[in-house]
Amino acid sequence: MRNVILRVKERFVSISVIFVTAIFLTVFLLVEDELSFTVLMLVGGGLFYFVKRRDCFKEVIVFARQSRYGFLICIFLALLTVLIILRNEHFALFMIASVALYSTVCFGLTIQLGYAGLTNFAGAAFFGVGGYAIAVLSSENFPDILSVLTGGFMAALVGSVLILPILRTRGHYAALVTIAFALLFKTFLELNDTLGGPQGLKISSMNMFGWDFGKSFFGGSFYLNYVLFSLLVMVSIFTLTRLLEKSWIGLHWDALRIDEISSASFGINISSWKILAFTLGNFFIGLSGALYAKMLGHIAPTNFTFGDSLILISIVILGGIGNPWGVIPAAFLIIVLPEKLQFIQEYRLLLFALLVILVLLYRPDGLFKKALRSFYRGWGKV
Amino acid sequence: MLLGSLDQYLINGLVLGVIYAMVAVGFTLFFGVLNVIKFSHGDVLMAGAFAALIAYISLQNFVSISIWMMVVITTTFAFAAMALFGAIVARFLVLPLRGAPPLNTLLITLMLGLAVREAVRLFYPNGSNPKPFPKLLPDTDIFIFGLEIRHDSLIIIFGGLAAICFLHLLIKKTRLGLSIQAVAQDSETARLMGINFQKIVLGTFALGSGLAALAGVLNGLYYNEINFSMGLLLGVVGFSSAVVGGLGSILGAIIGGFLFALLQTIGAIWFEVPAYKDVFAFVVIIAVMAWRPTGLLAETKSDRV
Amino acid sequence: MGNSLLNSQGLTVKFGGLTALSDLNFSLEKGELLGLIGPNGSGKTTCFNTITGIYRQAAGTTSLLGKDITGFTPQQIYKCGITRTFQRLRLAVALSVFDNLLIGDSSSLNTNLFFNLFQRSKLKQEIEKKINKVKKIISVFNPALVDKLYEPVSKLSMIDRRRIEVCRALISDPKVLLLDEPSAGMTQEETRDFMNDLHEIKTKSPDLGIILIEHEMNVIESVTDRCIVLSYGKKISEGSFKDVSRNPSVRTAYLGED
Repeated sequence: MRNVILRVKERFVSISVIFVTAIFLTVFLLVEDELSFTVLMLVGGGLFYFVKRRDCFKEVIVFARQSRYGFLICIFLALLTVLIILRNEHFALFMIASVALYSTVCFGLTIQLGYAGLTNFAGAAFFGVGGYAIAVLSSENFPDILSVLTGGFMAALVGSVLILPILRTRGHYAALVTIAFALLFKTFLELNDTLGGPQGLKISSMNMFGWDFGKSFFGGSFYLNYVLFSLLVMVSIFTLTRLLEKSWIGLHWDALRIDEISSASFGINISSWKILAFTLGNFFIGLSGALYAKMLGHIAPTNFTFGDSLILISIVILGGIGNPWGVIPAAFLIIVLPEKLQFIQEYRLLLFALLVILVLLYRPDGLFKKALRSFYRGWGKV
Repeated sequence: MLLGSLDQYLINGLVLGVIYAMVAVGFTLFFGVLNVIKFSHGDVLMAGAFAALIAYISLQNFVSISIWMMVVITTTFAFAAMALFGAIVARFLVLPLRGAPPLNTLLITLMLGLAVREAVRLFYPNGSNPKPFPKLLPDTDIFIFGLEIRHDSLIIIFGGLAAICFLHLLIKKTRLGLSIQAVAQDSETARLMGINFQKIVLGTFALGSGLAALAGVLNGLYYNEINFSMGLLLGVVGFSSAVVGGLGSILGAIIGGFLFALLQTIGAIWFEVPAYKDVFAFVVIIAVMAWRPTGLLAETKSDRV
Repeated sequence: MGNSLLNSQGLTVKFGGLTALSDLNFSLEKGELLGLIGPNGSGKTTCFNTITGIYRQAAGTTSLLGKDITGFTPQQIYKCGITRTFQRLRLAVALSVFDNLLIGDSSSLNTNLFFNLFQRSKLKQEIEKKINKVKKIISVFNPALVDKLYEPVSKLSMIDRRRIEVCRALISDPKVLLLDEPSAGMTQEETRDFMNDLHEIKTKSPDLGIILIEHEMNVIESVTDRCIVLSYGKKISEGSFKDVSRNPSVRTAYLGED
């Protein structure tokens, strides 16, 4: 016990930064009117400046590097606090789950775009494939946990139709393939009556192993079910993505993304690595699409336009291409900020567009630049 | 019912083909000089149509001039406005990203297209609804080779073709055109030969964007309705046409444009639900990309990695 | 013929109407260092690209130790034991030195998905083995590079980058090494260091056959056993550097005299 207290004392600054951030985000999710929002932003800006001046962020990073379990416990407790405070707030919880699922989608895109260099402008389409798959299966009384997985498999399967053109084309020609697919997918959904046409389909709420997601969770909002499950999915897929990056597989992807000719000259089979990245990415995207559709309770073609695919790509770029760590704050920014600012809601797409243009012009590596690969903890320390 | 309207399909296909070809030529021009895809091209077309509409409305309120005069003035205004816009975009968004990966240029112009689209929707009065575009051309019928054609369709087809031919002559015969060709061939050498690289790039972007504005006006004249989101599909169609024809080739772009219109027409006749025509056309485009990864007219390279 | 290491007969490459390489015959023996020289555009790099399977030949055959490797993909050629460097360095400058070197050894890596994701401790052992292997190889060239193993290649000097590229080509223990103008962009001192490196390679792996494209004639003179001169895609002379340099047609090709 004494030992724990000593450790906490040692890391006091880092721990308080983590908890203050958590509390700030909680208040951020709760604030509704413009005045309190402005005040909150000012307070937040001041805090950020204060923390940054004292190099406290660096201390947090050191904390994360030196004692990983302590750091994870700390993050877990902070998250728990947030969820306990927000246990009855439907909308805030819905936002948290959305951020988690959109982040998961973007991990899939990170594997495709950031690791293997495959441009996928049809992210929202594969997100939709997952959603529609689960919508159809839900009406058939299929076990939900399998439906979610099937959503991922369906997305990977539909994506396999594009594999041949994607492998054969390069650069702009490859971009056209996914753009054309994104457009035809949405038109197809709107015209297809068995999939509900423009109105879409209704979906029953999630229920697995007797855990009914439609019911209140220990007296809190039913959204807590989705939040917990989405976070679980996000953390698992994040871990998988990072493990892929920190392995020989990530090395192969990096090599072929940067230079296909030299990779081929060193025996790297470009096609099979691209197929792996594309399929795996689509699987993750479809999986989160299925879960998102379950949470929403209905699904319609308007959720899966080309514009939505662009939003997904924006998250990846904003987070720093190929950096899964950056994806989460970027997703938070792009998903939550416009919902909070009702007066901005209308201008949402315009602001995204301008934001991404500015990032591409002045910070092409995104907000958080991808670091060099480290294969395991303590990498590079002699 | 179908047989009776077959000639309508033909005329409609030709009009669409001309418009698509005009857009595709722009894509191919930009790709030629800078190796970039300017994805906001479709939205420039839409903005051009809106510029013409604004010119029309303001002229109509203040002066009374003949309808032909009106066509000339609004078209010129749309052309000039978009040419200027194209040059500005090239100068401040495309040229600064020259050293960056090509994906970045594609993305920045995609986002610019989104911004233009949203700006029109938000800032044009009641911009999210379709706007009627004035009927400036006569819509009486004439008969050619037994085909019943409306005057306006005919004017649009020939107007569009004339614009493309004019551009072709401009590139083949004038000093500016020769410089554009030189830059497209080898920008480093062209620069050493004393060609002002930036000026040529800006000129090309102005020209291509102006052509897109013309296509937008023609599109408005044909359908008598424009809306803020019409550019997205037209842009993708133009891009597909240019890519299928083989990027960098003007002839390829024209062929690609007409091919796409043909595919849509076949799709519209074939399927009971005509809206499936786009799905059909895009499926064929994806298949063509799998078959000829660098377009129909492109040279086959011996590089196979 | 049968026991020569690498043997090409009638190698011809065409780009559209242009013949970049016409009817080239050559062979490389074990342990030999063959110089490939000729003016710009004479087809030297095209020759490398064809041997390594990047270009398709219009005619001709290539064999390695008597085994026909004509028409193999670059991946197959690599697995047969032919590796190369590039005239304009093709290193992944954003990646670490370690990553770049391991790309050269890709076929020895276990890329099983399950192994990479879930058997992390075994993976770690494999990585540690590779670190030792990499250290051993680069310390031959420049012991100081061992400390830079975890730094991005973009931080290295030109000669160190060349060394990394050569190491990348050597790490898989090839039978044939193709060096495409290694002295390009280096200072005279660096070039001299590089020649020492070449001698080092030859003593370390006496069976390795090397083909060297080079413009610096003093490099060619001091390191090669034999030379082939190309001009407009044709072989115009072959022999020791001394013989070749006396050949009048070679002088014509270089100086453009008639």
